[in-house]
Amino acid sequence: MISEFGIILLYFILGFVFVGIALVAAYFIRPSHPNAIKNSTYECGEIPIGEPWVRFNVRFYVIALIFLLFDVEVVFLLPWAIVFKGLGWFAFIEMIIFVVILLVGFAYVWGKGDLDWERPKPYIAKLSDLVIGKKKQ
Amino acid sequence: MMDISDLIKSISLFKPETTLIVTFMLAMILDMAFKKSKNIAGYIAIAGLVIAGIFLFQQTGVNYKAFANLLVIDSFGQFMKFIVLMSSLIIIVFSFFSNELHNAHTKLGEYYTLIIGMTFGMFLLVGSANLIMIYVAIETMSISSYVLAGYTREVKRASEASLKYVIFGAVSSGIMIYGISILFGLTGSLNLFEINQFLSVNNVATLPLLLSGLMILSGFGYKISAVPFHFWTPDVYEGAPVTITAYLSVASKAAGFAVLLRFFKTGLLDSVPGTSEAWQLLGNIDWHYVIAVLAVLTMTLGNLVAVWQTNMKRLLAYSSIAHAGYLLMAVSVMNDNGVSAVLIYFVFYMLMNLGAFFVVQLIANKLDSENIDEYNGLGYRSPVLAVCMTVFLISLAGLPPTSGFIGKLYVFSSVINSGYIWLAIIGVLNSVVSLYYYAKIIRNMYLRDVESAKTKLVFSPVTIAIVLMLAIPSLLFGVYFTPIVEWANYSMNIFVGN
Repeated sequence: MISEFGIILLYFILGFVFVGIALVAAYFIRPSHPNAIKNSTYECGEIPIGEPWVRFNVRFYVIALIFLLFDVEVVFLLPWAIVFKGLGWFAFIEMIIFVVILLVGFAYVWGKGDLDWERPKPYIAKLSDLVIGKKKQ
Repeated sequence: MMDISDLIKSISLFKPETTLIVTFMLAMILDMAFKKSKNIAGYIAIAGLVIAGIFLFQQTGVNYKAFANLLVIDSFGQFMKFIVLMSSLIIIVFSFFSNELHNAHTKLGEYYTLIIGMTFGMFLLVGSANLIMIYVAIETMSISSYVLAGYTREVKRASEASLKYVIFGAVSSGIMIYGISILFGLTGSLNLFEINQFLSVNNVATLPLLLSGLMILSGFGYKISAVPFHFWTPDVYEGAPVTITAYLSVASKAAGFAVLLRFFKTGLLDSVPGTSEAWQLLGNIDWHYVIAVLAVLTMTLGNLVAVWQTNMKRLLAYSSIAHAGYLLMAVSVMNDNGVSAVLIYFVFYMLMNLGAFFVVQLIANKLDSENIDEYNGLGYRSPVLAVCMTVFLISLAGLPPTSGFIGKLYVFSSVINSGYIWLAIIGVLNSVVSLYYYAKIIRNMYLRDVESAKTKLVFSPVTIAIVLMLAIPSLLFGVYFTPIVEWANYSMNIFVGN
């Protein structure tokens, strides 16, 4: 007899075996003619520049974290909408408090300027820079 | 399904926590509104804590399972919440006088706000009776404390401390939630009361129960810095601002011990009446010995390593590990005597440890160093401060006329009454070791480098008054300790339902 957890384990093993069989079978069936151009990252002829491990700007994370809060707020609103009829005013006030707490946080983030997306200002070379004797700032 | 009357009663008993949330938001908004005032959030935080304290006081004698058994409001929780509340108040006052914080930031609004957030997390942790609630509460307090540990952003070791704290915290809470999932798989419930009922009726396999218990213990052990989980303690305590170090060493530990005791008493204790002599534990595992081994490891390592330290914050970090060991000793006897010993010890530990850290902070303000050698001749450079420091250190070592002695007395007597003589002997030997490094500081203050005594260190009367307000009770409670003991005996009953 297999218990319920045993069935899950069986699925787990089967999943590995299935993928393994597919890969091994493909290895034997497929033609294999590797060359330098074919093995490059972009087969279409694009030559990769630099490392794939680039640093992402930390501002993405700040925005993502703030987004997450309001995402969770919406998730909480859904079950609340279902029980709303039964609980009435009590639930309404409770949710208002919840939303106000989040709004205070939003106001704080806004006031602190964490939502401002400070664009980097790249220096674009002007024609006058090329004039001999004039230095870049 | 919880009914609405339970909800309304729960909310009325949730006033201290609600006050903290309101304080949190007010501090945040008003700090933005009043751009000129540096400490406005701190004043609001103090007002909020005082109001929360009044609401907490009103709950005296209440035993209630709030929010469908998520939180328990009982006198044990009330006692621990008072410890947390008092240390938050004292820490905020300390922060007004901290040079390192004021040099690092022009405004400290977020700092005070986060302290309130951490206090809120600890309030939840002290009361929680549901494994998920315990986890959420631990995370609430941890996330605030990670930020606070690295609050002086420009200081390299503070950032390092914060990062180490986050990594160790993430690992140990990961282990803990895995243990919770195993316990849930075994018993089919996350509620400590239901787990208790299930264990008392059914026979559970010993090995998974032991494993899940140990894993959950690792989460608690991280909070109280018990030995196999203590690695973050010295680095974080050294790197964090002194105020936060002091806060972590007292309040964080109090909340950790509260949840540890509640977990054992509510979750794993046989609820048959008449077992207050020694708690009858469920499930074939002798948790006494598990905790006793932890206690021995914790105090021995803490004391032996503290001997070699030359940085005061590191020394006090190891000493706080050792104190966690003494407290674990009282937990390991697992009876009501042990609980009341833990409570008594915490009151005194709060006074003496916060006091010692405040002196360290004052010295660091003047001399910009936490090295033990800087304390040479302090007895002549600033006599009042040195006398107070001596009181704190003697109290930490646990010698008589101080309150630390009374705390140790109750811990050891609870251990001996339960028949663990060997444990008490190890504890006393450890106290002797600890006396060496505490006495080393006192020797530095009075007997070393007396020439430097010519340059006096002058501290403002307010700071001296604060030190005295901690030192005098440390001495006074060593002689007149009845009120604390009575309060602890009144509060030792953890509400287990029925």
